[in-house]
Amino acid sequence: MSHDTISTPKKLKSRQRIAVSNLRTPDKEVKQDSHENLAVDSLSDCLGSESRGGTKAPSTIVCREDEHRRVFEFVKGCLDQQKAGSLYICGCPGTGKSLSIEKVVKQVGDWSKQACLPPVDTLSVNCTSLIYSARYILEIVEPVKEDNCYSSPLHHLQSLFSQKQDSSSRMMLIIADEMDFLITKDRGVLHDLFMLTIFPFSTCILIGVANAIDLADRFLPKLKSLNCKPMVITFPAYSKDQILRILQERLMVLPYVAFQSNALELCARKVAAASGDMRKALSVCRSAIEILEIDIRGSPGPESQGPTPDNPVVRMDHMAAALSKTFKSPVVDTIQTLPQHQQIIICSAAKAFRGSKKDATIGELNKLYLEICKSRVISPAGITEFTNMCMVLNDQGILKFDQARGNKLKRVCLRVDESDITFALQGVRFFRNCLL
Amino acid sequence: MAASTPRAKTFQSPNKTPTNNIYRKSYLSPSTPSHLTPQTPQTLTPLRRSARHVSRKIDLGDIDQEILNPPIEEMNLIRKRERAPRKQPTDDLQTPKKSKSKSNAEVSFSPVSPIRSEKKRKNAETSSNKRVHYTKVEFDSVEFQIGDDVYVKRKEDDDDDAELEDCRICFKSGSSDNVMLECDDCLGGFHLKCLKPPLREVPEGDWICHFCQGHTLEAPKPPEGKKVARTAREKLLSSDLWAARIEKLWRGADGVYWVRARWYLIPEETASGRQAHNLKREVYLTNDFADVEMRSVLRHCFVKSPKEFAKASNDGDDVFLCEYEYDVHWHSFKRLAELADGDCESDDHEWMKEEEEEVGDSDDEEMEVEDEGSVRDSKSKRGLATSKAANSLNGRFFGLDKVGAKRIPEHVRCHKQSELEKAKATLLLATRPKSLPCRNKEMEEITAFIKGSISDDQCLGRCMYIHGVPGTGKTVSVLSVMKNLKAEVEAGSVSPYCFVEINGLKLASPEKIYTVIYEALSGHRVGWKKALHSLNERFSEGKRIGKEEEKPCILLIDELDLLVTRNQSVLYNILDWPTKPNSKLIVLGIANTMDLPEKLLPRISSRMGIQRLCFGPYNHNQLQEIISTRLKGIDAFEKQAIEFASRKVAAISGDARRALEICRRAAEVADYRLKNDTYAKNQLVVMSDVEAAIQEMFQAPHIQVMKSVSKLSKIYLTAMVHELYKTGMAETTFDRVATTVSSLCGTNGEAFPGWDVLLKVGCELGECRIILCEPGERHKLQKLQLNFPSDDVAFALKDNKELPWLGNYL
Repeated sequence: MSHDTISTPKKLKSRQRIAVSNLRTPDKEVKQDSHENLAVDSLSDCLGSESRGGTKAPSTIVCREDEHRRVFEFVKGCLDQQKAGSLYICGCPGTGKSLSIEKVVKQVGDWSKQACLPPVDTLSVNCTSLIYSARYILEIVEPVKEDNCYSSPLHHLQSLFSQKQDSSSRMMLIIADEMDFLITKDRGVLHDLFMLTIFPFSTCILIGVANAIDLADRFLPKLKSLNCKPMVITFPAYSKDQILRILQERLMVLPYVAFQSNALELCARKVAAASGDMRKALSVCRSAIEILEIDIRGSPGPESQGPTPDNPVVRMDHMAAALSKTFKSPVVDTIQTLPQHQQIIICSAAKAFRGSKKDATIGELNKLYLEICKSRVISPAGITEFTNMCMVLNDQGILKFDQARGNKLKRVCLRVDESDITFALQGVRFFRNCLL
Repeated sequence: MAASTPRAKTFQSPNKTPTNNIYRKSYLSPSTPSHLTPQTPQTLTPLRRSARHVSRKIDLGDIDQEILNPPIEEMNLIRKRERAPRKQPTDDLQTPKKSKSKSNAEVSFSPVSPIRSEKKRKNAETSSNKRVHYTKVEFDSVEFQIGDDVYVKRKEDDDDDAELEDCRICFKSGSSDNVMLECDDCLGGFHLKCLKPPLREVPEGDWICHFCQGHTLEAPKPPEGKKVARTAREKLLSSDLWAARIEKLWRGADGVYWVRARWYLIPEETASGRQAHNLKREVYLTNDFADVEMRSVLRHCFVKSPKEFAKASNDGDDVFLCEYEYDVHWHSFKRLAELADGDCESDDHEWMKEEEEEVGDSDDEEMEVEDEGSVRDSKSKRGLATSKAANSLNGRFFGLDKVGAKRIPEHVRCHKQSELEKAKATLLLATRPKSLPCRNKEMEEITAFIKGSISDDQCLGRCMYIHGVPGTGKTVSVLSVMKNLKAEVEAGSVSPYCFVEINGLKLASPEKIYTVIYEALSGHRVGWKKALHSLNERFSEGKRIGKEEEKPCILLIDELDLLVTRNQSVLYNILDWPTKPNSKLIVLGIANTMDLPEKLLPRISSRMGIQRLCFGPYNHNQLQEIISTRLKGIDAFEKQAIEFASRKVAAISGDARRALEICRRAAEVADYRLKNDTYAKNQLVVMSDVEAAIQEMFQAPHIQVMKSVSKLSKIYLTAMVHELYKTGMAETTFDRVATTVSSLCGTNGEAFPGWDVLLKVGCELGECRIILCEPGERHKLQKLQLNFPSDDVAFALKDNKELPWLGNYL
């Protein structure tokens, strides 16, 4: 087979991956750990232990026990009955999907050892690092391939699963992270993959992980008719209590308190309300610590006279600052720091789109701009300069162009809210009358 | 010519022959001497050299047979490369018997050696320009011929190099019964007896000494007082000597012998440095020539093609391998053609004949060259003059020889700069500023970020996104932070790291970034798929690439937004690596767009983290400071002029590049103005200059174009503006414009040109993009639009001397 030489390294990789696949587990602790770098003095050892807590925490999955159990039960059931199955896991980013799956893989390994079952071939792939979608099949087939007599690995697998095999055949656990990268135009790859599990003698357990809830329904309508729709387990976004619990769990290892409980709750509430992304919650906590650290470093004198000189705690204000840094829209700040002429352009755009009008050409916008300049007695910039400024605003995400041939014919629309502009420019006397 | 050769000298060398020449290394094997070879009259002067070559049994006057054998048979220095008597390697290049006595008297061209071109020029002037060319020269009782490879001294005061290599252990050169063995790794020589355990015979296959194997860690120090003499080979490989191929031999009119040398380079001297695949004895043939005096030629060495080299395992120490030719101007390598050995004899004859024919016509050129007085010049001229001769060398002549480029004379380049010129130079965008004012806060933040990430022993991966409009110093800030960090690494306060800088614009496709990163980490260039595979292993599984050390890696990606592919997998991978525990990867992404993370898939922005750094546009105070710091110490600008420029720029874009360009242009304008007006007392750039520069830069070129279009085009444009104004629409048709033109022409006494001419004019304006024509249609219902505001057109056409009535309609 021509692919043979190319794909041999893949084979090696996939096996090693099994061994090292748990490396992704401390995904969170990565961020938690980096506190250590920045922490100073007394803070450093406190955070050091915090990071050590991070390494321990993933051994017990907090707040995902239910989902974790269901995945495990599914795999166990399949292994018990020696039958194939497919499972689809969905959920927003940062909700612990990959982490749970890795735990399950480990647990399955332990369990099968205890139950004296033949060990499971595990293959976990992150689909983003695949070179072609089509190569995916190739990669999977490598560990089980015995001979090269088949025209393609897919055929090989299909024939393998459709014939009766000797009882010694092992189960195969395939985990495809970020599965939606496999979506091709004709959905062939994804389809073939799921079809593998419905062959009569298939020994393959497929677990797909992705963000979209309805990936299976949308892209694999055929599966439904064949009655082999994968089981779906949804990882919901973390609620505020869950985030709080996870954070507390991690911080529990600390000998003393690093965060005020109010501060933690504030963080949990804010993040839960916005996205429920655990990664975000952790990075907000980290940046809160950084802010605290800057506080300590900036004012060593007052700090020593303070009420808690030896044990700095992240208070509400630190957390609030970190949260606002993360979640605050930068639009207002950006508009305020723009050069004057660009502000005039935004101003004229806001005026232009005040009514029902949604977009205008650059020529029209330029007319409005010239009007404002004239009324304020400012020498306007030339048309080329004007176009350049519009480009810069487009880059900053304030205006939006559509693709058109001529510069002058390009249609422009505003991407920020008019009230934001009014708010940002209300302090400048120059613009006060423009926007009225 | 040959008759004039002093013969007496030939007896000198045998006298000095040491008794123990049997232990001599085989590379001293005598070359084939020829009785009739012309010898230089100077042979007696460089005593040192003749002492060096004493061991050769040369020129005993009557020798026509080869005296290769007698002492050397007993050579006991058998290297692993089996250094044994060497045959004349260049036999095929010479014309053995015929050429000996035939020396062609002819005019040659400026012999200029890089070492002593001064003197040489003088020689050439005084002499009658008569050169005598040889194919073979006996110099210092050693015979050199065209095509031979020789060592060339690098310095005049080069100390004598050792004839014999010393044993690395006992530091003696040899004893009668001790065979020397060469290590295949370090090329050091070892006596068989001195080895532990001693060897009786030369082992088969490769042999590597203990020091290289690492058994004994330290090589023994040489005994006190004994200077370790280095052989020519060692010197060459440590670039204290040169190797060259003789391309031409001649005797100057004053009797000095000259060699045209074509240099060999050792791998270290090439632009890419020594690579892993280079052999120890590998050299590169260059396309760089130089004329050197015969005196600085040391002796023969032997550069071989890989095939010959494989066979020549027995040929002594001075064997080198040359497989590639190296272009010194373009730093490129080319495999030497096989036919290089086939410069067969017949060619040589032709060549000599041609040379003779050329005698007459190349004379004038020669004199010219002397006047030019530049080394390179003369070389290039010569290339042109003797193109025939060059062609006979299979057309292989390169570089400046071919182009005939001239060097700019020194005196033009270094005249004293005026203040304005200095200012212009410092304001150039290419000039890197010494310090970066106004970006201290951002730089501190970047420094803290990087230091925080790498200084820790765990070194966890992190990611930072830097955004800002163009010309706000994003890249330059990061680079200067990296420079400071590098200094700290050298000082030892920060642990070492490796830094990879990638510009997204320079990648042919986003996937190529894997190749670039991999190449930066490992030095090998592979396809992106393989690179991605290895990088995945390196970052997510902690497997090291090759011999790479465990050190953090900082990845700076400029123009990050260009890496966004359709499914965004490239960005996903790059931003996913830092989240792995073992990655030790720090990613700094730079882009213009503020909202890049929001435009990306949520899973990518979730991995990107929240570390953002915004470089806002400069305000006028900052711009002013930037310009003043650049101009510190140069008194060329009025303060108001700088302020004016910076305010103007800050109001529109806040782009520092723009501000610097305006100031530089203003300096140019001022320079021009002051040159015309020599009585100006004030040598400064004033407001008006800046104003002129701004006009030039901000006033778009379309006004200029409209001012200079033909008369008919002006009428056409006026009619169009008028028509648009009348109807109040954004676009009109050609039909209506033509009607207006005809009515305008009628009322103002101009001849109406006709429709087809008008249509043509309209098309021309459309090509200039002054008006926008409906594509693909050229008939009277074609839709037309002005590409610029009508005010601009009015401004451009208003004050027109030729057609004063245009203003009425605008």
